[in-house]
Amino acid sequence: MTLERVVPASVAELRETIAACDRRGAAIVVQGGNTLRGMGFPPTRADVELVTTGLDRVVAHEVRDLTCAVQAGVTIAALGEALAAAGQFVPLDAPARRTATVGGTMAAGWLGPRRHRYGRVRDYAIGSEVVLADGTVAHAGGMVVKNVTGYDMSKLYIGSFGTLGVLTQLNFKTLPLPATARVVLARLPEGSRTRAIAHLTNLAIAPAALLCVEGYRKAIDGEDGVDGRLCIFFEGSEALVERATRDLRSALGRAGVPEATIVDAGARETFQRALDATIANVAERSVTYRSLGTPESAETRSLAMRDLANRHELFTDVLIDPLNGDAIVRVSERDTLAFAARIERFDDVLHEIVPNAVVIAGAAPMRASLRVWGEDPPALARMRAIKTRFDPHNTLNPGRFLAGL
Amino acid sequence: MLEQRLIDAIGPDAVKTAPEDLAVYAFDAYSEGPPPAAVVLPASTRDVAAVVKIARDCGEPIVARGAGTGLCGAAVPTQGGIVVSFARMNRVLEIDARNRRARVQPGLINLELSKRVAANGLFYAPDPSSQKISTIGGNIGTNAGGPHCLSYGTTVNHILGLEIIDDSGEVFTTSLDDPGYDLTGTLVGSEGTLGIVGSAWVRLLRAPESTRVWLAAFGDVESASEAVSAIVGAGIVPTALEIMDAVITQAVETAFHAGYPTDAGAVLLIENAGFEDDMAYAEREIERIVKSHGAISWRSARNAAEREALWAGRKGAAGAVGQIAPNYYIQDVCVPRTKLPQALRAVTHAARSNGIEVGNVFHAGDGNLHPLLMYDKRDARQVGAVIEAGNEILGAAIDLGGTISGEHGIGFEKRETLTRVFTTDDLATMARVRDVFDPRRMLNPEKIFPSGASCAEVR
Repeated sequence: MTLERVVPASVAELRETIAACDRRGAAIVVQGGNTLRGMGFPPTRADVELVTTGLDRVVAHEVRDLTCAVQAGVTIAALGEALAAAGQFVPLDAPARRTATVGGTMAAGWLGPRRHRYGRVRDYAIGSEVVLADGTVAHAGGMVVKNVTGYDMSKLYIGSFGTLGVLTQLNFKTLPLPATARVVLARLPEGSRTRAIAHLTNLAIAPAALLCVEGYRKAIDGEDGVDGRLCIFFEGSEALVERATRDLRSALGRAGVPEATIVDAGARETFQRALDATIANVAERSVTYRSLGTPESAETRSLAMRDLANRHELFTDVLIDPLNGDAIVRVSERDTLAFAARIERFDDVLHEIVPNAVVIAGAAPMRASLRVWGEDPPALARMRAIKTRFDPHNTLNPGRFLAGL
Repeated sequence: MLEQRLIDAIGPDAVKTAPEDLAVYAFDAYSEGPPPAAVVLPASTRDVAAVVKIARDCGEPIVARGAGTGLCGAAVPTQGGIVVSFARMNRVLEIDARNRRARVQPGLINLELSKRVAANGLFYAPDPSSQKISTIGGNIGTNAGGPHCLSYGTTVNHILGLEIIDDSGEVFTTSLDDPGYDLTGTLVGSEGTLGIVGSAWVRLLRAPESTRVWLAAFGDVESASEAVSAIVGAGIVPTALEIMDAVITQAVETAFHAGYPTDAGAVLLIENAGFEDDMAYAEREIERIVKSHGAISWRSARNAAEREALWAGRKGAAGAVGQIAPNYYIQDVCVPRTKLPQALRAVTHAARSNGIEVGNVFHAGDGNLHPLLMYDKRDARQVGAVIEAGNEILGAAIDLGGTISGEHGIGFEKRETLTRVFTTDDLATMARVRDVFDPRRMLNPEKIFPSGASCAEVR
């Protein structure tokens, strides 16, 4: 089967492609920067690869309104640079920001570590334009920051993995770019992690991001080693970041963490490396799971996943985000064949201990046989009905999302 | 038949059918409709589900209702049917302070939640001006905003999951942590047309370390609005930026003695909450900006009592206007913040050309205007003039790239105007969602969507 690749240069062209495919029963795989291809099932049918990167305009940036409008194919880096020129940003926290697109990141409902401070990506979307399977071009929201005119349809599309429609434009609220950014890196001595998390989640000035990493060699500080590390990202005014650092140092001291390194020049790049690590792959021999939940249980969930992986003779890299409650575990093997057998056995039992573990990156060949979306959500019947109403012929990203949505 | 079935299901105390009881539930703060056939006061999600099943059997529509403070007719039973009042479902079911969240029943009064969690150093951020009486469920229905949306966002940003009673009386739950479509975000703001909230998980925030409130007086609302855009444009996003014009200021001062200057054309109320370290800089910069934009006076609240007094004036503004006009109609439009001066000129023009008084009190930081059009409803000419002026304001907001409701909702009031903001395709797409949740159009019918023939599939 040959996959036809279409890169529309306009919404009209994109709409024609979709409507034509829908009429002739062809399945469309929607693709932005292809950075989150490790999320979800591989498509069950694929006739046309619809690439959004041709829609690459920043449509508007209203600096004094703190709003912007961008086409879906704009990369996260390009959006960031356009906004930074006027001292603003949108906290999208996307990995691989040079290739990740706004549309893809939003369609995947990507969740990053700064959402504890700033909120989820969906909370920044004030308007959207989407093309539905039958070619309908539909708008929701607008360019105002408060809006209760009609249903908030953007919320439905964000995180729907392109199964309801293809996002072609998103309007966002923007924020002023903080004056100072700083990363603090620290090695965790044996047995200090739980105490460190307890102290750091209670800081008066919460960091913009707090990541507790075990493994992920070289991903964050360029050093080898599997011992635990902390990567703490602060941003704000200089005075606030200084005070936050003092508070942090004394909290680390109380938690028995002796040393910390401060990264000021290149702090944002260091933070980006931590974001990139969450989807970094190990050839064909790894799968990365993420479980969302309460901050209180993040460490327990991640360690339960790690211990289970170890029992299945799989290597693990662990990333805990105790402010948001995310537990991210990458399981891997040196040998591809051994990995294939072990990961299926691991995946079989994983959801008994962490029901909502979802695959966010990993080896495509194996993914079809894993439960990559974890247990079905309680409202699945409603979700199915929505899919049927929006895409009756299952034209858009068939099979990619959970339970055949 | 209907009454008896309801009584059998949820008990005689919880069912009201006396005409004087029904009359009380025929209106909200915007308008009045025909009385419902019955009002029920369920005590639990199970009760609500039982009521919905009976309503479905009897072909009666269902209207969910919070405190009735809504300003767009969203809780008015336009076709009679059953009104579900959540007055008895008003409990905090669980406080999970460690994870900064709580599970609450829909009838819980908004302000009550912040009071309940204050001892934990937490608060619930969405605070509509009606927060002393409005309920969390009603707030969810309209995705309520308020003066602090500028930095905290609206209700939808603070709802983590919902327990929903669907159109057939089945109960399902949604959670932001579940994989799948964001049903939580879709349900919030749907004005009871997609389902009824049985309980909600809400996000709590840590109370700020430091809060400052400042008051600046200006010669007119336009220069105050320019100052607001300049503050935000300079990279400072305070927690609230509220403007009141002379009409409102004087009314508030008469009613509350909040300490507002009565000789100013407009006052700008500014609140900044955050860390002490940032306050001195913010104060210096904001003061510099407002003065360079023509502020004629500048004042900083010295203590909590002064801060509360300044806020009491703002939150009581609509009530204060009740003392100077027999009736008022509060409009709710939102424009891009930098378009506020043009929008205010349009408001003034709409009022003057129709011969009515107007007062302005609004969330300037969000570009969310609330002109209060004053009239006497016993005078048909004035009623007509208010309707005309209201329409002109809606048109002006749309022309300026804004929208017809920032926070009050569409309800019955603005449903015909929706077609001026969205295309038929846009509306038909929203209707696809409604088809899934309420194919029979029995959940709060005649709300949000226009009635016109061209929109038959939407209704």
